Amino acid sequence: MKKPKDLNLDTLSLHAGSKPDSDFGARATPIYQTSSFIFPDSDTAAGIFNNEMAGHVYSRITNPTNAVLEERISSLEGGIGSISTASGQAALFLAITTILGKNSHIVASKSLYGGSHNLLEYTLPRFGIRTSFVDFRKPKLVKGAIQKNTGLLFGETLGNPGLDVMNIELISNIAHKNKLPLLVDSTFTTPYLMKPFDLGADLVFHSATKFLSGHGVVIGGLLVDSGKFDWSSNGLFKTLNEPYKGFHDMKFVDEFGPSAFINRARKEGARDFGACMSPHTAFLILQGLETLSLRMEKHISNTRQIVDFLSTHEEVKSVSYPELSDHPDYDLAKKILPRGSGAVFTFEIKGGYESGKKFIESLNIFSHLANVGDAKSLVIHPASTTHHRMDKAALRKAGVTENTVRLSVGIEDIDDLKEDLQEALKQANR
Amino acid sequence: MFYHPSSKKIKNTNPIIFVHGTGMDHTVWTLPVRHFLRKKKDVLAIDLPGHGNNKDKALSSIPNIADYIFTFLDKNSISNFSIVGHSMGSLIGLEMASKQPERVNALSMIGTAFPMQVNDALLDSAKNNSQIAIDILTFMGYSYSSRIGGNKNPGIWMTESTKRLMQKSGKGVIYKDLKACADFNDGLDKARRVQANVQLILGSNDYLTPKFKAKDLIQAFKNPVVEEIKGSGHSLMMEEPNKVLEYLKKLFKD
Repeated sequence: MKKPKDLNLDTLSLHAGSKPDSDFGARATPIYQTSSFIFPDSDTAAGIFNNEMAGHVYSRITNPTNAVLEERISSLEGGIGSISTASGQAALFLAITTILGKNSHIVASKSLYGGSHNLLEYTLPRFGIRTSFVDFRKPKLVKGAIQKNTGLLFGETLGNPGLDVMNIELISNIAHKNKLPLLVDSTFTTPYLMKPFDLGADLVFHSATKFLSGHGVVIGGLLVDSGKFDWSSNGLFKTLNEPYKGFHDMKFVDEFGPSAFINRARKEGARDFGACMSPHTAFLILQGLETLSLRMEKHISNTRQIVDFLSTHEEVKSVSYPELSDHPDYDLAKKILPRGSGAVFTFEIKGGYESGKKFIESLNIFSHLANVGDAKSLVIHPASTTHHRMDKAALRKAGVTENTVRLSVGIEDIDDLKEDLQEALKQANR
Repeated sequence: MFYHPSSKKIKNTNPIIFVHGTGMDHTVWTLPVRHFLRKKKDVLAIDLPGHGNNKDKALSSIPNIADYIFTFLDKNSISNFSIVGHSMGSLIGLEMASKQPERVNALSMIGTAFPMQVNDALLDSAKNNSQIAIDILTFMGYSYSSRIGGNKNPGIWMTESTKRLMQKSGKGVIYKDLKACADFNDGLDKARRVQANVQLILGSNDYLTPKFKAKDLIQAFKNPVVEEIKGSGHSLMMEEPNKVLEYLKKLFKD
């Protein structure tokens, strides 16, 4: 018997989660810009509050526009549900604090976005959650870093800034052998390039500000639950296995089974931490998602051509991109990222710190700013901006040199982009 | 046998017993269970053998499953009760209500039909490769519209949630469940013996147990109440949780 034909990514990215408006026939998802929702009667109010009926109470917890986005990303990732948050950072915080608390521990990749690193290294220890940062390319180090109180493994599909390709299958095997979940930041890849759940990840989050939106006009995050991890297998996950006083002694694993995590995250984290996404933001991210495939295809096509262009350019010392044979994860990228290794990469310009700065200041189409994943091409010089507090040794450890330049390649005309780079490279060492 | 809420005393009560369908477990009933608990009713959402937290070996016939539940009820001195069953669970409810009619106060059959035919190819898939069977059951288990989403329960992607529940069931369990449904016989005679108040909740877009296949069953019961949920497929508790609850409240005069 043949597997039934489910809808494909291109269709889901336009339709999943939305039904045409039953009141007025609006085809687009309406923006339910309201703080709260009217209850038809007291018993219904009590029923929704008691989680015996489906419905909305207050937009900090759920909202119909956000719910469409949450279903859509769940469908694209192959998850059972998701929560939209105020930012990617809020999604990461929500993921961690839903399962971990005082005296717990995380094993994280050493190649992380600076914001995530700050949260894990400096902020969470104040709440009793500590992190060991290890090289995820070295499984022995990952295994060795797991402690009795470890409750989570965490890494990025494409690490920052060296584009370490995470071997999700390998890392998730280590996690699962230790009855631990694997959380993956999939911001750089999106479901168009990779679906981490298919490779063994248990939780995924996105900074939806980036490629999922593409327009660079919102800040938002999405936390997605695969529903695959058995939360009852490890006594460490008390928040999901023990009665929760904050919700009528609810035992999430008993009442929700595979969706225990995402329900706790909403009933506690969305309610109490309050880092919610506005319905207008959800609407704008939905507009972006509609063109995810088209944009990603162009992002990748442009990136590949620019990588080729820079790799042979006389003013460029080196280019780091997983599709280049000298990248340490070349084989892995071929296997798990066949559609492309993202549209963000770094290269080293010849000369030093000043050359890097001059190059960036000479660009016209590429915008000099601290973001990635915009439809517009972006550039940043890490040594003078995101990593400016680091000395040379620390920069080296982070995989950054004084003349490293990071590009986020947009979807403009490729000839225009090449010309912009060509002119700026000429200026860099003049 | 595992039942939810496990902390509740059940001895000598007259509970509403919720019985899940193929490859599912008690969590499909979380919403109505929470409602009836708030209304101070005795409720039990059970995990059938081989499902969810019930580690007993899965059984492959509806009468055997019914006997298994009777044994559990007898051990707990539960003499009278009502049953709410979905799909395979509805057949189990029918079997119980016909076997010991004096004990069953009310029977709600959700997403039901008789005979509950199962395609041979689907049975083979379930035997040989349960993931394909899970995919097919999920695909057929939702209306076209629900496959695209629009869940009333915010943020939950319905079809994948259903797959995940089925993936949790042990090896061969889905095959046994499907076989039990396909082999269930004398359904109409059994329906005639039922003394309980009977309700059928059917989805107008149910591809697994289409409503026209419940016609004979409806005729065999004495004064059944038939509730149709327009637009819903077979996964009525996921697709239309509030309507299902509304009809259950009607049955239990709540």
